[in-house]
Amino acid sequence: MSVLDWIRRLFGSKKKEIIPFKILFAEFKKSLELNNQILDLIADANDKLSGDYIFDQRYIQYTCRKLADLVRQLIVTINHLTDQKYAALYYSFHGIEEDIETLLRGKILGQVKDYILPYAGISRALTDSVGGKNAHLAEIGNLLDHRIPDGFAITTEGFNLFLDENNIREKILAIGKSRHRNEIPVDEASRRIQHAVMEAEVPHKLRLEILTAAKKLCRRHKETKTTPCFAVRSSALGEDEISSFAGQYLSRLNIPINDISQAYKEVLASLYSPEAMEYRLLMDFRPHEIMMAVACQLMIPAKVSGVLYTYDPVRPQNETMIVNSAWGLGEPIVAGEVPTDHFVLDRRSPHEIREELIVHKTTTMVLRGCGGTGIDGVQEDLCLQSSLTAKQLRELAEIGMQLEKYFKRPQDIEFAIDRQDRVIVLQSRQLRLQQKRMPRACDLSDLKEKYPVLIGGRGISAMEGIAIGPAWVFSEDRNLNDFPMGGILVACHATPQLARVIHEAAGFVTDVGSTTGHLATVAREFRVPALFKTENATEVIADGEEITLDTECLTVYKGAIQELQYYAIQEEPIEEMYEYRLLRRVLKKIEPLNLIDPTAENFTPEGCRTYHDLTRFVHEKAVETIIDLNFYHAHHRDTQAGKLLWDFPLDLILIDVGGGIDGSHSQGVRPEQVTSVPMRAILDGMSYPGIWNMAPAGVDFSSFMSSLTRTTSVRSTSPEDVGRNLAVVSAEYTNINFRLGYHFTVIDAFVSDNILDNHIYFRFSGGVTETVRRSRRTRLLAKILSHYDFLCEVYGDVVVARLKKTNRERMMKRLFLLGLLVGFTRQLDVEMVSEETIDIFFNKIRIIMEQKYG
Amino acid sequence: MDDSQTSIMILDDEPIVGKRLQPSLEKKGYEVEAFTSSKAALKRIEERSFDIVVTDLKMEGMDGMEFLTLVKEKYPDTEVIVITGFATMATARESFNKGAFDFLAKPFKLGEIVEVIGRAEAKRINHRQA
Repeated sequence: MSVLDWIRRLFGSKKKEIIPFKILFAEFKKSLELNNQILDLIADANDKLSGDYIFDQRYIQYTCRKLADLVRQLIVTINHLTDQKYAALYYSFHGIEEDIETLLRGKILGQVKDYILPYAGISRALTDSVGGKNAHLAEIGNLLDHRIPDGFAITTEGFNLFLDENNIREKILAIGKSRHRNEIPVDEASRRIQHAVMEAEVPHKLRLEILTAAKKLCRRHKETKTTPCFAVRSSALGEDEISSFAGQYLSRLNIPINDISQAYKEVLASLYSPEAMEYRLLMDFRPHEIMMAVACQLMIPAKVSGVLYTYDPVRPQNETMIVNSAWGLGEPIVAGEVPTDHFVLDRRSPHEIREELIVHKTTTMVLRGCGGTGIDGVQEDLCLQSSLTAKQLRELAEIGMQLEKYFKRPQDIEFAIDRQDRVIVLQSRQLRLQQKRMPRACDLSDLKEKYPVLIGGRGISAMEGIAIGPAWVFSEDRNLNDFPMGGILVACHATPQLARVIHEAAGFVTDVGSTTGHLATVAREFRVPALFKTENATEVIADGEEITLDTECLTVYKGAIQELQYYAIQEEPIEEMYEYRLLRRVLKKIEPLNLIDPTAENFTPEGCRTYHDLTRFVHEKAVETIIDLNFYHAHHRDTQAGKLLWDFPLDLILIDVGGGIDGSHSQGVRPEQVTSVPMRAILDGMSYPGIWNMAPAGVDFSSFMSSLTRTTSVRSTSPEDVGRNLAVVSAEYTNINFRLGYHFTVIDAFVSDNILDNHIYFRFSGGVTETVRRSRRTRLLAKILSHYDFLCEVYGDVVVARLKKTNRERMMKRLFLLGLLVGFTRQLDVEMVSEETIDIFFNKIRIIMEQKYG
Repeated sequence: MDDSQTSIMILDDEPIVGKRLQPSLEKKGYEVEAFTSSKAALKRIEERSFDIVVTDLKMEGMDGMEFLTLVKEKYPDTEVIVITGFATMATARESFNKGAFDFLAKPFKLGEIVEVIGRAEAKRINHRQA
């Protein structure tokens, strides 16, 4: 007998007892309550990443343990409700809890189990697995669409395998400790560890996967006539964020496919160079944070290589960019071993060349077949020729500015020009400016007297930081697709739809908004300064004017305040502090939602990978259980069930659990008898005059409704057919499961005078037409729901929307909207013949909402 | 040292507190020194006075309450603001009895501590004028 069976049997002995519905419903409500507490605590923890809070490790520990406690209670509750049906949730829970405890002890868990990840599948969310260098470069290629060398990452999981299979982890830790205690000099510690690494073998499994990935790359790039070779570069954790690490680790160039494993080992060994070991000690790296992922890229036979700084690190106030370049491969250029052409460009478009110094270049590093590099003399006519054309310089400057805006920090970019004269980005990391020339914080206290202030001391900071850029004031008639790179978005509401411009925006300012909303979360994920709740930003900030946003001081200045800009770019980014790294890591085990579609295969207790998943799973199953219990156990005497009687032939069964229906309903329930606040609003929406006329010509309402309401008696049919047209109602609560035609809709809503308790959950799925139309319908729904402030997730064919903590009046308006949508969307995917229909239907819904609510 | 500038000492054994507070307070025009070791902070207190001291309650080595007592003994005019992650009414009351100006539970917002510091500063100025 398995442990699971044992648990089931242990708890299952009382099975036959019928639990009164009110008790079950109380238990159900408790699960909703826990659900909300958990989601709030998660949102609060995310809020701490804004930089506006002072928190410490104790806070992180406290939050994690509190969450674990609530999630555990939630699992107990669902198992009460379902007679221990979901005991397996305890296993998933313990796994997650254990991972979090491991993180709290300072260890790092890779986000993936893979040893190899191709660049196409990498984003910065995987930084702890692939290292900053890989993550940044992959994003530059995947999201910004610049040319990067094709390649893959060998993950920290691969690194761990290397240490564990060779049994050298403890040895390295011990030598490191001796060094910390000053028992041995750093050179000695470094030598011993590097020796251990070089003596070790790359595990067979890992070697095989590296080879397979490299072969796949070669096949993808058949256009190269010769067998491609590889560059094997370090991508250690923390390396890219701190540019002083630059050059401390090894890169191996032009490596033939069969030598990659050896080069991999050499790169790993460079993690323990004396300089790197000393530097990590200084930067407060914990022993478990010392990990090396590796980049394996197709070698670019560079015609020209160079480095671009998006600021002059010594004189940032000059507002210039610096480029150094020379013929051939980049290694001697980066190492400063050869003279380079030097260009000073304007930071402002069109990036005019302010200075140009062309040097006499006599040597160049070139590829020697496959397997090596060599130094050649430069062809005589090229010695004194500029290695970059004016056009290339401008293109580089534009790329540089874009990367700076994207990563929100000055950038130090390595690039190559390939044989087809294309610019290829090889690496981009934060550029550190020389601090002594920077203004000190205390010099900035009089800025408000010196510069015109548009907003002063009003609002809340959703993400700390400073941004300078042109204001782009959003209004209904503007298209977010036109938002300019580097602009500051000014809007009335901090609605989720604004998150669409997160990659372009330098900052956000809104009149209304909360720090726990979706936009705030996204702003923190991408570190975009955001100031919400300023009351009148859209009135006092003019579209197109240059503004400076300082969220820490809750201030918006007119014009570009360079002192603040220089202050911001030299300040230590908060994300480099250990506590922020730790909070981000634990949140990865808590916050992401992987279980979105309840019909998906992974929607199981075993599929839960985060506390959010567990919470979501339990919520879904709790709702399901309550519904099923009322059909299968209809003999509950404490609930009243009745069929809704109204003009529309819709078989809807209402179960009243307290105060949801007025008077007797033995003969059915008339609409005016429905006293449930949320249900009333939904019914109002569904029966709104004219809503059905929007359905396509030829299909009138009664004919389409009749197609789905042919059932005769509720009790005599199976729950699969009709049981889904069900509403559990009480005075303040409604839970609806509709199956209209092929569409499946769930609405769960609670509306009271206590804003904190209010919530709406809406899920829509299904459809009969081909994917394109269904996707249009999904996008339309998402557009409408986002417009009305729902937090909206789209996953394939499923739309999930949520709204919480909104006052009664606004909740009612939105429930009315859901009523409209329920009736209206049934035919939608048939109608959505073109892209334009999205806007047409969107506007129709808006007009109805305006007619009803003004 | 600029006489008109209010001086603040921050003591917390978790480095992040000083690291985050120092630049923010400096930006607002304060003169700030941050410490993670109570021993080093005590040594500094021997050397000079601060207008305002912000200290954690629970620290390795020395209790914040003890530090508060020592500071108030040596410089009765210095206002001490106590911050701690283990907020209970009992400890709050005790720190008030020992002369703390105010009490703040971690995590707190930058704006909150700036507000408390502003009040402590105002109290000192009133006191001086009286």
